[in-house]
Amino acid sequence: MSFDLNFIGILIGAIMASSVPLILAASGELITERSGVLNLGVEGMMIIGAISGFALMVVTDNLFFAVVGSMLSGLIISLIFGLLTQSLLTNHVATGLALTIFGIGMSAMIGKNFVGIPGKEFPLLFVNLKESIPFLGPVFFGHSIILYFAFGLPFLTNYFLKKTKTGLIIRAVGDSPTSASNQGINVTLVRYSCILYGGAMCGLAGAYLSLIYTPQWIENMTGGRGWIALALVVFATWSPIKVLIGALIFGGITILQLHMQAVGLRIPVQLLSALPYIMTIIVLVVISRDSRKIKLNTPTSLGQIFYKEK
Amino acid sequence: MNTKLKVSEISKIYPGCMANDKVSLEFRSGKIYALLGENGAGKSTLVKILSGVVKPDEGEVFLNDESIKLNSPLDAKKNNIGMVFQHFNLFETLSVFENLSIDSDKKDEDLRVLVNDILKKYNFQIDLDIPVLNLSAGQKQKVEIIRCLIRNPKILIMDEPTSVLTEQETDDLFISLKQFSKEGILIIYITHKLKEVLSLCDEVAVMRKGKVVSVSNTIDEKIESLANKMVGENLNTIKKKINNFKNNEEILKISNLNFKSDDPYETNLNNLTLSLKQGECLGIAGISGNGQNELFQILSGEIITEGTSIMFRNKEIGKLNPRERREYLMAFSPEDRISQAAVPELKIYENVALNNFKSSNFFEKGLVNEKKIKEHSKKILSNFSVNTDNVELKSQFLSGGNLQKLIIGRELITSPELLVCFNPTWGLDVGAINYIHETLIQINEQGKSSILISTDNDELLKLSDRICVIYKGKLSKIMNADTVTAEKLGILMGGGSID
Repeated sequence: MSFDLNFIGILIGAIMASSVPLILAASGELITERSGVLNLGVEGMMIIGAISGFALMVVTDNLFFAVVGSMLSGLIISLIFGLLTQSLLTNHVATGLALTIFGIGMSAMIGKNFVGIPGKEFPLLFVNLKESIPFLGPVFFGHSIILYFAFGLPFLTNYFLKKTKTGLIIRAVGDSPTSASNQGINVTLVRYSCILYGGAMCGLAGAYLSLIYTPQWIENMTGGRGWIALALVVFATWSPIKVLIGALIFGGITILQLHMQAVGLRIPVQLLSALPYIMTIIVLVVISRDSRKIKLNTPTSLGQIFYKEK
Repeated sequence: MNTKLKVSEISKIYPGCMANDKVSLEFRSGKIYALLGENGAGKSTLVKILSGVVKPDEGEVFLNDESIKLNSPLDAKKNNIGMVFQHFNLFETLSVFENLSIDSDKKDEDLRVLVNDILKKYNFQIDLDIPVLNLSAGQKQKVEIIRCLIRNPKILIMDEPTSVLTEQETDDLFISLKQFSKEGILIIYITHKLKEVLSLCDEVAVMRKGKVVSVSNTIDEKIESLANKMVGENLNTIKKKINNFKNNEEILKISNLNFKSDDPYETNLNNLTLSLKQGECLGIAGISGNGQNELFQILSGEIITEGTSIMFRNKEIGKLNPRERREYLMAFSPEDRISQAAVPELKIYENVALNNFKSSNFFEKGLVNEKKIKEHSKKILSNFSVNTDNVELKSQFLSGGNLQKLIIGRELITSPELLVCFNPTWGLDVGAINYIHETLIQINEQGKSSILISTDNDELLKLSDRICVIYKGKLSKIMNADTVTAEKLGILMGGGSID
């Protein structure tokens, strides 16, 4: 019996690991969107993070540099988006889409020389505890530090937005940039900061994939996770905790349906593959159906270009 | 505490428009100053300069004889200049307290004490922990005022503060403003409402086309003299003859209509009953947000109602959409000119075609007959004295008054039997208001009916044959206009009853 329980524990651990990139990217994008900026470049920023993390790991042989470098590269590429949308006032949607296309192409070009190189083992924490405690061990222990960070992040984000002055300012800018500007808040600066933060988190999400989850470089290895993260933010109605729930459901059903495919159930594979998407949307729509809360959480100025009267 | 504010030779040029042309004025604490002018006279530009939102091209501002630089709203705050904007500068989704704390350096606990003191002192009743979007316009304005008061302002600027208020709220505001003035705050009050200038202010500066044309004590002024200075020409005031339509045919009848909305921010309508005779103007008064939007949408067909509760010329129209209702000779002029009545990015003639897109004259085999639409549009422009004959002009470049003339013209040129209009003169200047009023009186004289939903009581009393009040989704008894006074309306609008 203890074996079965342990297996379920390992399964849960795997589900948690698979949802980490979604949590990181979605939490970052959530802050960006809360300031009223719609950055559709999540996928592009993630894949840039993935290749730069992996490349730095190979070149420097240092995982710390790799992780920090991936965040920096995510930040730098989001700076392009910031320059275009905030300083040159381009359309958010078009610029974000371009960023994704750019990121995918750029990563493939850099990644050419890194295909087939094996990754380095990423240190896992509390490995002893994982093996000595049945069920709870594999759930809570033996993960990378990034996973623990990712699971704390939605709660931190929630606290930051609700309880801190900076969080209040970000929400105010997302609600009405004109009013914020008239109150003497530097809207452009706030939005730049949020874009850069979002970029760094997407970079980290990418690095998690190429350094820890599947430690190697494969072209296009983010495989649409950036788009899922974007959808999570919207369906979770800009609530960080609901983003966490959504990411876990998506990760969970992805892993479970793989197992179901392996067992050979007589359900069409296509339906199983579609299951994570369908279920995540259904669950998030159901838990987010309070129209009052939606109205209060939705950044009213999302995607609108702001320019100051002179 | 003596404060002296002086603006000297301020000029601000926008493309194609001299918003401020060498404006020089002087203000001293202890008095309430009116800045009077039509829309586009340059009042708002001047106060934007004083609040640091806009930078002047030329000129200087002196506070107590010292030149001050107002490069940003922060500079204005540093100089203790507080500003309450016409379109509120609040964050709708944040709570009242969050709105107040966002630009305060105080700790939350200290701020709460301070705000509660202010609430008590001025007898404001506002729940600090609900989102701003749940507040009435009057309450929102109070939040703006509190936001200024927190900073101990020396100067308080109010930009057309009563455009969204009820009479009662306006009275309350005036009491507060007089109290502030006594406490030594210099108040600059921007308006185009003449009555307010006379009842509230000590001095009045009139602006026209970016220039100050007169500065005087309000004691020496009358409504007519101010109006003429403001418009720059003599205006004839119009007054409608109230008619009795008892014997006329009933054209519209709504009986016991109920509307329940799924949106918690909309108002439900309860047991709505009204009837309208041919040639009559029915006025519907009320504080905004009491169900006027929903009522307009039900009349126009934006909200479809079930069952047989709306009869128009003996036909049940509850299930018809706006286009079908227009075919039955109803016409509608919504409140929001920019987003509901017209598409600002489209040209004038395109906007004209929009509500006639079934007309076989305008469209042949799915193709647009531009020539005919343009001819038709030209006719509207000249018949309704819109200040342009260029039908290719994008609608967003029309002023509010001209856009409203175009919208009403577009509706009336098809000779409808009923025109429903919602705040048709909202935010317009005296000249345009006069024109719209004349037009509305004219259609009644031609035997057509109208329903006027408005938050402007003067307008309602001037144009209606019968008046009722909408309060929390319920209609009051319908009264003959000659028995109604502004006081009566005020009581009903606030939820009181009269007998």
